[in-house]
Amino acid sequence: MRAEDKERAVAEVVARIVAAAGDGRGLDAAIADTIYNERRRIEKERSSGGRAAALERWDERRRALLATNTTDEKKALLAKIAEDFAREVLGNFNPKVHRFATKLLPVALSGLLNAMSPVRIVKNFRQLPSVKDRLIVDGMVDEARELKDRGTLIVCPTHLSNLDSIVLGYAFYDAGFPPLTYGAGLNLFTNKLISYFMHNLGAYKVDRRKTAAVYKDVLKEYATVSLEYGYHNLFFPGGTRSRSGAIESKLKLGLLGCGLRAYINNLRGGREKPNIYVIPVTITSELVLEAETLVDDFLKETGQSRYIIVDDEFSQPSRIVSFLERIFELDAKIYITLGQPLDPFGNNVRRDGVSVDARGRPIDTVRYVVDQDEKPIPVKARDEEYTRELGNQLAIHFHRNSTVMGSHLIAFAVYEALREQQPSQDLYRFLRSTDGELDFAMLAKRVEQLRSRIEMLASQGKIRVDDRLRGKTGDELVMAGLRSLSQYHKRLVIERKGDKVVAVDRNLLYYYRNRLLGFGLEEPNARPEGASARLQQVSQ
Amino acid sequence: MTLDREKVAVLGSGSFGTTVAHVIASTGRTCWLWGRDAEVTAAINEKHKNPRYFSDRALAPTIRATSELEEAARNAQVVVVAVASSAFREVTKSLGDFVTGDQILLSATKGLEPRTHKRMSEILKEETCAKKVGAVSGPNIAKEILVGQPAATVVASRFKDAIEISAHLLSGPRFRVYGNSDLVGVELAGALKNVIAIASGVATGLELGDNTRSLLITRGLAEIQRLGVKLGADPLTFSGLAGIGDLFVTCTSPLSRNHRVGAGLAKGEKLPQILERLGEVAEGVNTAKVCRELMVEKQVAMPIAESVYKLLYEDLSAKDVLEDLMTRRQRYEIDFDYSFEMPARR
Repeated sequence: MRAEDKERAVAEVVARIVAAAGDGRGLDAAIADTIYNERRRIEKERSSGGRAAALERWDERRRALLATNTTDEKKALLAKIAEDFAREVLGNFNPKVHRFATKLLPVALSGLLNAMSPVRIVKNFRQLPSVKDRLIVDGMVDEARELKDRGTLIVCPTHLSNLDSIVLGYAFYDAGFPPLTYGAGLNLFTNKLISYFMHNLGAYKVDRRKTAAVYKDVLKEYATVSLEYGYHNLFFPGGTRSRSGAIESKLKLGLLGCGLRAYINNLRGGREKPNIYVIPVTITSELVLEAETLVDDFLKETGQSRYIIVDDEFSQPSRIVSFLERIFELDAKIYITLGQPLDPFGNNVRRDGVSVDARGRPIDTVRYVVDQDEKPIPVKARDEEYTRELGNQLAIHFHRNSTVMGSHLIAFAVYEALREQQPSQDLYRFLRSTDGELDFAMLAKRVEQLRSRIEMLASQGKIRVDDRLRGKTGDELVMAGLRSLSQYHKRLVIERKGDKVVAVDRNLLYYYRNRLLGFGLEEPNARPEGASARLQQVSQ
Repeated sequence: MTLDREKVAVLGSGSFGTTVAHVIASTGRTCWLWGRDAEVTAAINEKHKNPRYFSDRALAPTIRATSELEEAARNAQVVVVAVASSAFREVTKSLGDFVTGDQILLSATKGLEPRTHKRMSEILKEETCAKKVGAVSGPNIAKEILVGQPAATVVASRFKDAIEISAHLLSGPRFRVYGNSDLVGVELAGALKNVIAIASGVATGLELGDNTRSLLITRGLAEIQRLGVKLGADPLTFSGLAGIGDLFVTCTSPLSRNHRVGAGLAKGEKLPQILERLGEVAEGVNTAKVCRELMVEKQVAMPIAESVYKLLYEDLSAKDVLEDLMTRRQRYEIDFDYSFEMPARR
């Protein structure tokens, strides 16, 4: 956010938080709840000088709350708390550094290949291969580009890896879009080099350990205010990276609802370009950097710690290096596919910015939010329903724009074939089992059949297919799949033994196979109830 | 042009559409009623009677009938669509030309679209820009409501204001309206019960007694609930007015059209003849087909509905079907494992 907007934004966010708390008991509750939650969080931290000081700061606020007599005093206290949060969240965005950082990024990613220091990257600027050739930005790019000038964009991608925001930030810059503002977990700032880019690509900090309602409201209000100021935002509507490997189907609606709130506020404020456009983006890649950690976390029975993985592949530069090496060696592409632009109600939007119904007839969207006196007003329950509708539409577009790649194809075929051999086994037992091998020729035939079913879906516009899968024989497809799945991960996923193929790491097999869930490709009976229930639970 | 918050429209001048319009207009409020047939609309406006249905009953004088869809529905706060499920998409598509986002659209049609398996409210959403869609469903025999006997219905929508506004419009001294946010459940219960009603009609035709009927209703409810839950419905909805309430009345009242279809089949009549004699749409006949497709797709055991399907489309006799049902494997009443008797895929 530009410096001149920053102060304005902080003041606006604080004012909204205080107004929402009201004058009565809500005000006391908001303050007390924040003090309680923050103290509890800090108490759990390892003891240090900072911890003691932080505790003391909240104790002081507790005393202050007890000493307040008037509503105004309480409001001032809440305002102070909200302001501190807001300042902590706001990124250090600087347009000049952004331009520099985005130019440097492809080189830096390439440079990571050689594990170079940032200094050497700059020195070798010219000689290094560009990561640009690996990124395919396709789909409705022109439409989105036109809409960015007609209103404010919310770019909503699927989420596989922590590399997503960096890769997206770059891809959008390269495709001629202005910077995207987005919230990123604190853990993404631990790697210094990555942190530099995160900051300067427009990230603001989200501390997921902070559970106080006021803090979460500050985040939402900040996103809303930045949209109102015309800053294009990046939301990951799935909340976190997909643990199961499946494409998100149930989305987090809290953050997503900020778009509608911003739209209503824009109408009320009489802004010149009130419209908010939601751009679904599906990111697909052959391999996923953190696949091992993600799927292990998914399969863990104790789901409590699921939200925050601090120590994964992303925090180990050597793993990022090895991952990128593979991507280069395999000549693998990362697809960033932009889908049909939507309005905050889930309707399609034409490139001229007008919302249309399913028959292409224009819609006056103001009518969705007006009250009896024809004035636009927010209504919580109503707006949540609109946002739910948007979420449903997003999930449909996520699936449609997903690209099937070699690793998904082979993982799906191998998994389903093995599952047929052990159909009644509980998922967890099945994944631990080492029984079962597949005949290479039979597998080749299955993969070919699967590909033609997928091509059929693709011809109906329900999915996309990586060009390199077309025209290959079953044998070639299996060989290509074996190659991509057996190289990067520490654990072998599948392996060829003579004329047989065996699954070595079934968890990873399951992870890559899940990418093709939701297209009706699996036999309904082959999927145990427990598995589907868990899929929904996690993506909720 | 802004919304007219006093304006209400009912689309479809069949027996239920006429009844809904009458209920709304009974409080003295103007209710627009759209019908294709200019003769019918003229008779309603001039004589306050529908010559096709209940021609002996006087309708509320504040019903304004028209055969212009736009005149009826434009700017109306609430539009109730009560046309046969086979015409539902077509009518709704025309409606979409002038619907605005602040209008509330309710379906009063109990059916599912062939092939797509869509619920009527889904069609409302697909064919118009409306988001505030819902359904009216319950034990509502048109004739009884028209003569002013006490009755109740359910208005279902995900939108609270849609429920509140519609409930206010529809309720009267003899007609209660309950709200429900489980739109999926209310619509599925309303549609699927018609299939069970055909089975109940068969029992009537075979001159079987109340034990048999009670058996059909109870086990029928269990199976439509099973399918409903698989499709996202709240199981509790099936024990409400739109569930057991509607199922009970359709299975016991000789006035029910689907019931009459079953009774005819039991007596050895052929389906086309029965339908011709009926002169009205029996939604259960089409729904049985959709229901059969859904139970196969979702792998839900629905023995009664499957029997009805066979009776309608596979030329099995009522006696054979009954024999089939009574010789099924013994089981526990409350049992969630139906894996051994799933409908076969084809």
